Amino acid sequence: MNETSPQGRFAAMFAAPQQTPSVARRIAWVVIPCVLVTLLAWPLRDMLDPANTAMLYLLAVALIAMRAGRYAAFIAAFSSTALLDFFFIHPRFTLTVGDMQHMVTLIVMLAVALIIGNLTVSLQQQITAAIERERQSQALYQLASQLAGTTSLEQVATATRQFLQQAQGARSILLMHRNNALHPVEPEHHLRSGLQSAAAFAALREAQKRPLFDEPRYWLFLPLHGSTYVRGVLAIDFGEANIASVNVQQTLYEAIAALVAIAVERLHFVEVAQRAQLQMTDERLRSGILAALSHDIRSPLTVLYGMADTLAQTALPPPALDTITAMREQALHLNNMVSNILDMAKLRAGNVRMNPEWQPLEEVVGASIKLLGGALALHPVKVLLPPDLPLLKFDAVLMERVLCNLLENAAKYSPPGSTVTLAAQIEGDMALISVCDAGSGFPPDRLDKVFDLFERGDAESSIPGVGLGLAICRSIVEAHGGTIGAENRNGACVTFTLPLGEPPRIELDERDE
Amino acid sequence: MNENATILLVEDEAQIRRFVRTALEAEGHHVLESGTLTHGLEQARQSKPQLTILDLGLPDGDGIDFIRELRTQSELPVLVLSARSAEAEKIRALDAGADDYLTKPFSIGELLARVRALLRRNRTDSAAAETSLRFGTVEVDLVRRQITRSSHIVHLTPIEYRLLCAMLANAGRVMTYRNLLRAVWGSAHIESTHYLRIYVSHLRQKLEDDPAQPKYFLTETGIGYRFQY
Repeated sequence: MNETSPQGRFAAMFAAPQQTPSVARRIAWVVIPCVLVTLLAWPLRDMLDPANTAMLYLLAVALIAMRAGRYAAFIAAFSSTALLDFFFIHPRFTLTVGDMQHMVTLIVMLAVALIIGNLTVSLQQQITAAIERERQSQALYQLASQLAGTTSLEQVATATRQFLQQAQGARSILLMHRNNALHPVEPEHHLRSGLQSAAAFAALREAQKRPLFDEPRYWLFLPLHGSTYVRGVLAIDFGEANIASVNVQQTLYEAIAALVAIAVERLHFVEVAQRAQLQMTDERLRSGILAALSHDIRSPLTVLYGMADTLAQTALPPPALDTITAMREQALHLNNMVSNILDMAKLRAGNVRMNPEWQPLEEVVGASIKLLGGALALHPVKVLLPPDLPLLKFDAVLMERVLCNLLENAAKYSPPGSTVTLAAQIEGDMALISVCDAGSGFPPDRLDKVFDLFERGDAESSIPGVGLGLAICRSIVEAHGGTIGAENRNGACVTFTLPLGEPPRIELDERDE
Repeated sequence: MNENATILLVEDEAQIRRFVRTALEAEGHHVLESGTLTHGLEQARQSKPQLTILDLGLPDGDGIDFIRELRTQSELPVLVLSARSAEAEKIRALDAGADDYLTKPFSIGELLARVRALLRRNRTDSAAAETSLRFGTVEVDLVRRQITRSSHIVHLTPIEYRLLCAMLANAGRVMTYRNLLRAVWGSAHIESTHYLRIYVSHLRQKLEDDPAQPKYFLTETGIGYRFQY
């Protein structure tokens, strides 16, 4: 036994369906059996009843139908009826029929010949189709099991290309959709003309197969359907092959494209899972570091601040008292900076758990002002909240961070004694909250940049800070579905918005006392 | 008001213990130190202090377990020291029975004020229930259920009055949302924090000089409220 390679077997399976014989052969197939039957029956013409001779002709018609197709069978049916009439039915050598009985013979024979021919051809076609289907599904099975073992897009592309090359003599190119462009997976196998690229894009956009005749080559572009969107395109270059045979097998190519799409999809999800795993590990590491940092920096800061504060309580000569007060303030600054850095790291990492609740803005405003305490000692804060301001939905702790940062900034960048104004108003479906100071304002050319990470109004300023406060404000406000902006009115003004939404209904108790 | 008390300080950082001790001793208190939870519990049992200052981040266990353990034996007030942005931890400590918390780093003035409030609370608890209470220009007559502000009668709704009483009864302590809601509305309503917030704002409007910058009905953002006077 001569074992062929798997690819060789595919080739055999994919050999185009049995070629229909040429016209000359088909004529020969009609003529020869009819003539043979006539020659065979002629010596027996006086012994056999014409009805029995008709049987021989029917046999010939069945044979012709099997080998030469439907039309040949029809022609054979008519011509053998004519031959029977001409040679075997009296009067011989004419097409006239003397006996009425023979007329019946001829008509039945013609009818039976036509039916036999037709049935035989249909049966033949069904068998051929079944064999073909069997071949295709076996081939697809082989391709599927090859693709199942792939671990990278390159392997998918190579397996598909080799398969189509050996089975069909066609060249395939796997193109993946990335950043609004189609990239060949194997760089050395790529599209060569604008026409081809355009067709590939059309297949991608419309998520439908696209044939292309790019003189003199015939192409087929098949979209690779993922679960959510089209992930890429399988381009098949059939060369100058027989277009008809390609068209016949379009469903086969669609099935191949589906197999490739499944392999691509599987690889995509493997990658997603791996990335998620990596991110999780990363996240755990990061929060571990943050927690450690937060504890290890806070402890010495607490000591430093507490000791300075203890000393400041004792009776010290004025210069020493000034020094110790300054030390205490610096420790507090350092603590705020550490807090901001940790906050930013947490917000960036996206592991801040929001706890938004409906509440009056007034409360968090009061809490922020109280929390800042000493930092606002030289700046009276004017709070202008409309009495009918509805409840807003926000995370109180985070909103306190926003207000504290804004108020602290306002106090830091405006002259001592000047008023800081915190105001709120309703505009459309948003609440507008602004914090304004009477300082020199933001540099006009960088108004849109002050919320960027590590951006400071004046980079060389002697006022301490690392430019994190406003970036944190933006992150928090945006997490609440609002926006934040800076402008200069009579000083620096930061305004942010919070969506109003629909506060829950409140039923107040009676005033019955 | 300078009554000497014995204060137990459970904190693993020696330097923090040092300045806290200095500050407390300057006020005339007697300070017991402890670097671990186990030792702390032992001292609480033996020396019967009037107040415990507890750091939640101790090496030999969870400070919250310490509070639970302590609460099985005594009503000893507990002031918790904790890092900022650890609201969940603070709430757990307060729900476990802690009375107040201080966020690190804290000023000596703030620490002493909290200690004073808790010690005073402890004393009023043991004394007979007071019949009237005064803060700022407000006077609350608990027997006649009458509130006056600058000698003018202030009307409160029944819920407002219940809330006021709950807060006065816990003066100097931090009340979590959950505790206040349970005390005023009952345990079926411990999720309705917006109601609580609205009623607190009513109390502020009626009893505070500047409701936006309250002096008595203080907000502990993300945790609850504290009545302080």
